[in-house]
Amino acid sequence: MGRVTQILIANRGEVAVRIIRACRELGIPSVAVFSDADARAPHVLLADRAVRIGPASPAESYLSIATILNAARESGADAIHPGYGFLSENAAFAAACAEAGITFIGPPAAVIDRLGSKIGARLIANKAGVPLVPGDTPADQSNESIAASARKVGFPALLKPAAGGGGIGMKTIREERTLAAGIDQARREATSAFGDGTLYVERLIERPRHVEIQVLADDHGHVIHLFERECSLQRRHQKVVEETPSTALTAQLRRRMGEAAVALARAADYRNAGTVEFLLEGAGDSASFYFLEVNTRLQVEHPITERVTGVDLVHAQIGIARGEALPWTQQTLAQRGHAIEARVYAEDPSREDLPQAGRLLLYREPSMPGIRIDSGVTEGGDVSVHYDPLVAKLIADGPTREVARRRAVEALRNYPILGIRTNVAFLIELLEHPRFVAGDIDTWFLDSEGKQLRERSVSAIPPEALEVARAVAQSQADPTLRTAGGAKADPWDTLRGYRG
Amino acid sequence: MVDALGNGQYRVNGRLAYGARERGRTWVFIDGHTYIVDAEERDAGVHATDDQVALSAPMPATVISVNVTPGQEIAAGDLLVLLEAMKMEVPIKAPRNGRVKSIACREGDLVQPGTQLIELEQA
Repeated sequence: MGRVTQILIANRGEVAVRIIRACRELGIPSVAVFSDADARAPHVLLADRAVRIGPASPAESYLSIATILNAARESGADAIHPGYGFLSENAAFAAACAEAGITFIGPPAAVIDRLGSKIGARLIANKAGVPLVPGDTPADQSNESIAASARKVGFPALLKPAAGGGGIGMKTIREERTLAAGIDQARREATSAFGDGTLYVERLIERPRHVEIQVLADDHGHVIHLFERECSLQRRHQKVVEETPSTALTAQLRRRMGEAAVALARAADYRNAGTVEFLLEGAGDSASFYFLEVNTRLQVEHPITERVTGVDLVHAQIGIARGEALPWTQQTLAQRGHAIEARVYAEDPSREDLPQAGRLLLYREPSMPGIRIDSGVTEGGDVSVHYDPLVAKLIADGPTREVARRRAVEALRNYPILGIRTNVAFLIELLEHPRFVAGDIDTWFLDSEGKQLRERSVSAIPPEALEVARAVAQSQADPTLRTAGGAKADPWDTLRGYRG
Repeated sequence: MVDALGNGQYRVNGRLAYGARERGRTWVFIDGHTYIVDAEERDAGVHATDDQVALSAPMPATVISVNVTPGQEIAAGDLLVLLEAMKMEVPIKAPRNGRVKSIACREGDLVQPGTQLIELEQA
């Protein structure tokens, strides 16, 4: 059981803001840390105290374990929330916190360590009876034995160099006819790339979905799950849109996946909030799911779970870290309605999503029913080149998927961000795509549809935009109208020396 | 018809729009779309050459590697400089065949948008 009377947030941006807000709600003083690039960032202004931890470069600030522990000691914080990214899945950091007598709001170092290795995590999953993608590394590496393995796991099969990684030398075998030649070729490529021709055979999961289960585990032996998040819409391993419930799950499949995630968490002696990721093949009761990995932290997309379950995951994390028992049982939890998250990135869709940095000349968040915006930026602030290009997360909810989807689209249409290119128009195109509307998505969706969506999101400048541009230029040329955002006709702004 | 509503807000043909301007560049937002109008650049008749655009950092970035040396012959598409920006690699490639005249960056440099990183000899 840990002391949590003052929390240092070892992070920046929207997640730091979100955690500081939770501290406020719970009456716990918060301590922000900041690099020189973030001296006036929203998370710094919002916290009760703020400590400078170094220059802009993450390695010298947000990733520096010694500096962050010093900041905790200096400020009197007895607990640290790591957020996501940076040090959140760093077992050495969790261990250093424990050693310094600081409560780490997350799993113990040993758990992070156990699940951090893909091989270790697969062993635990296997022990817990959680399905893995069918695969085999035959001890007998003869061509005949590899062929037998391929027949056993079934077609389409994937031949992988056992020594490899990063997709190099992988060979897809779709039918018996191409098996022998495929083995020869995979062997040659494995030998030339890694100096080792040992092959691993795995079932190829075609057009899978990425579906993850949120779990919570306390120090009293309680483990529960908070249902799924559908995260298939990703590109280059970066998620773009997430939703819950998943359109592919039935009540029965949801229960099976939830039970598998809980079994795995129990087998790993898991504590605090975590997420078990699965590949889903097919949909409905007949679908198969396979374990991918465990994320031992709060996920970026956690708000959609909060919207449909009513559970505040950061509150829950703090309660667990304090040694409290979970106030819910599996039976008391339910999904209510639907929630969709769209990640607003500073990037240029016309240049293959090149990330963008710069000043937000104008930034206005939409405020409407069913919309939550988690952001860590303000008008006049900068999106820094030193950190990731996430500007904000727009979370829409509603009684049905269609209501949530329409709310998300409407909110994005009223989300002006000027000064930096963003993917706002791309997100609207994505949410309006007939396949998304129908819930027909998989992890290949953005690979196959992304180019077209990007092209459609970049349109020629219409006449009314040119008219507005002229009006903006005129207002800036006239000093009596001049303000940072453009024209201001409000008479209150012309009052001099007025104190209201 | 455009009405200036104040605080960066405009009404155009009955629709709400937003506008802001910085360094000759006007940004306009209407109905989910953002448009960038480069009025001054066009008015002044200033046109960046292809080399300038292609061989400049597109955004603030860190130089990961410089893959050429002065005097080196290069072909269109060759990787000249590799940048890293916001956790992503951004390659700077040769816009044409030619020879490297000078290099204006070093490994580890933080470079700003518009800074030309490599100069090629005139074709």
